[in-house]
Amino acid sequence: MTAGSGVAIPFPMTSSDDPSAEGVVGTWFALDGEAVTEGQLIAEVQLDKVSQDVHAPSAGALRHAVAEGVGVAQGGVIGHID
Amino acid sequence: MTELNQLDLYKEMVRIRQFEARVLNEYHADKSPAWDIGAGLIPGEMHLSAGQEPAAVGVCAHLKKGDAITAPHRPHHFALSHGVDMNAMMAEIYGRTTGLCKGKGGHMHLFDPENHFSCSGIIAQGYPVACGHAMAFKRKGTDHVAVAVAGEGAANQGAFHESLNLAALWNLPVVFVIEDNDWAISVPRSASTANTSNADRAAGYGMPGVRVENNDVEAVFEAAGAAIDRARAGEGPSLLEIHTVRLWGHFEGDAQAYRGAELETLDERDPIPAYAAAIGLSDDQVAAIKAEADSEVDAAVRFALDSPVPTADDALLHVFA
Amino acid sequence: MTATETPTSEGTRRITTAKAMAEAIALEMRNDPNVFVMGEDVGAYGGIFGSTTDLFAEFGADRVIDTPISETAFIGAGIGAATEGMRPVVELMFIDFYGVCMDQITNHMAKIHYESGGAVKVPMVLMAATGAGYSDAAQHSQSLWGTFAHLPGIKVVAPSNPYDAKGLMASAIRDDNPVLYLFHKGAQGLVWMAKNPRSIAHVPEEAYTVPIGEAAVAKEGSDVTIVTISLSVQHSLDVAEKLEGEGISVEVIDLRSLVPLDTETVLASVAKTGKLLVVDEDYKSYGMTGEIAAIVAETDPTMLSKPMVRLAVPDVPIPYARTMEYGILPTRDKIEAAVRELAS
Repeated sequence: MTAGSGVAIPFPMTSSDDPSAEGVVGTWFALDGEAVTEGQLIAEVQLDKVSQDVHAPSAGALRHAVAEGVGVAQGGVIGHID
Repeated sequence: MTELNQLDLYKEMVRIRQFEARVLNEYHADKSPAWDIGAGLIPGEMHLSAGQEPAAVGVCAHLKKGDAITAPHRPHHFALSHGVDMNAMMAEIYGRTTGLCKGKGGHMHLFDPENHFSCSGIIAQGYPVACGHAMAFKRKGTDHVAVAVAGEGAANQGAFHESLNLAALWNLPVVFVIEDNDWAISVPRSASTANTSNADRAAGYGMPGVRVENNDVEAVFEAAGAAIDRARAGEGPSLLEIHTVRLWGHFEGDAQAYRGAELETLDERDPIPAYAAAIGLSDDQVAAIKAEADSEVDAAVRFALDSPVPTADDALLHVFA
Repeated sequence: MTATETPTSEGTRRITTAKAMAEAIALEMRNDPNVFVMGEDVGAYGGIFGSTTDLFAEFGADRVIDTPISETAFIGAGIGAATEGMRPVVELMFIDFYGVCMDQITNHMAKIHYESGGAVKVPMVLMAATGAGYSDAAQHSQSLWGTFAHLPGIKVVAPSNPYDAKGLMASAIRDDNPVLYLFHKGAQGLVWMAKNPRSIAHVPEEAYTVPIGEAAVAKEGSDVTIVTISLSVQHSLDVAEKLEGEGISVEVIDLRSLVPLDTETVLASVAKTGKLLVVDEDYKSYGMTGEIAAIVAETDPTMLSKPMVRLAVPDVPIPYARTMEYGILPTRDKIEAAVRELAS
């Protein structure tokens, strides 16, 4: 995992009840370094029992910024497309 | 609504009765002197519908090809009234390869997909399946209806309650028929059911319910017509409870000691002579109609007896399509 | 009959088992207006264990139908609709709930084709969640495929991975027979349950089938045969990969179907290795492990160079507390120990 450049992929979910609550990437569907196409399903994230799919914002090489199960702040970044 | 034809109703009831009377005779003929239920050319259980003809005839008069019926362990009257071929049905009862089910099902498991007719030996379980037929008709946009038939004992089984709720909830074109013949084998209604009319239960499930008394074929005809028309028009399910009479045992071989004094006057409640009198038929007409029915039944029995018996290996076929 | 259609590409995206089975349903629904889905919470919720993910959004309430809690009624309705030529996919939320609707399943769905002498078909899929491992205890953790495989008239399948999940569902829907499709909750790849990485995999986007009645050699080997199904395949593969590094070559047979059962593949493997371990998350006695044992014994018991080993849930209800639950499940440790013993 690298804190790289390129297009950032934000953690997409927010909680109005608890803005400080951390979410997680529950599943990375695309591996670190994998070439992805725009719109490809790359992850499933979870915040407070609700989950959501994440799609690649552009084509390129996916870089994970965080591993599965590790806490991510709302508004934080889960990865980049280089 | 279909037009009521008294002669047609009478003839159909006689046709059923003569069929049942012949099966009764053949069933018992080769099980003596010692009663052996598995013996004879028609082995197994036998549940005959003598006395309950008005229910089948009054309801089926309104049905057309493509309408479905799910019937219980006592199915012959509904099968015949709904157009199931008498020869194939008799052959199935005799367990022959020319039977409706090639001898696989027997009297309680008659399947005729052409007439959308099926029956099952498990109490009340035809009700959910009827909902399924109705669901398919609704999805396909036809005006066909499904009729589910069960006894008053079945109205205490979970499947009855689930089915009524589901049909009302989904507005399914199904008519739930209850044949209340007072007895669930040996247990009278008063000992099985907290209410005195399942029409009341229908209201509880959000559908109209009617109870018809006196085993009156014309009253059944009227009530069934209203219910079936309602379903065809897309207005949803109804329940029709018919107070009828089981003239013979629950099953053949049932000594019916539990019925006590009722047995002595049972024949007085036979709906067929009563209807003949009500519509003013002469003795000659009655005899002629009976003879015509007997002729058809005779042919069916001959067809069955002339048909092959399945082989042991046939048992392994038709598990999967 | 199910046609085998091998997909033209491996697929570029990875998805969960849950998404794969739902995708198969979607593809069949797009292709055939007779296919519809019924069950509790299958609509907007997407199925409690993700089996109908995204279907409601695409097909709406008319074809993805939430039912009341009336299993007898809605499974029976599925049967009736199937006899009228529709192809319902009906969900029984947990296989453990079979008690409230067993009659419709085994006396009706399973028997109507036979009882009618072949005149009536019941082209229906009954899908249900199975499996333990997350403390859902005795009434919500069972496998029960042995029970259903025992009763004639139902095809029984249980995929172990996303690729097979999609292909077997397509085959099940296209089959003119009733098919019981058992998906393991722990193999669905759900984000809210601990998962094995094998529950996420490349799955082709196009429609394809995996044949019912054919086992897969999930891993080739020469020293020991493991015959297994469902989530236990994933565990067996984990063990096999580990032991490969130590020079113990394990062949893993993923049965995929219990009815029909691919005895040929099983026997070929046992003939090759002579050492048999059957891993089954269902109860031990009178079930799958005994069935495999009997097939070997009645074919040629001398095929075995050692007595076989049956690793299954002992004949106890599944307990709640994690230590006890994992004490009785056929876990990787137990699989590994059994393989080592056989290989020694």
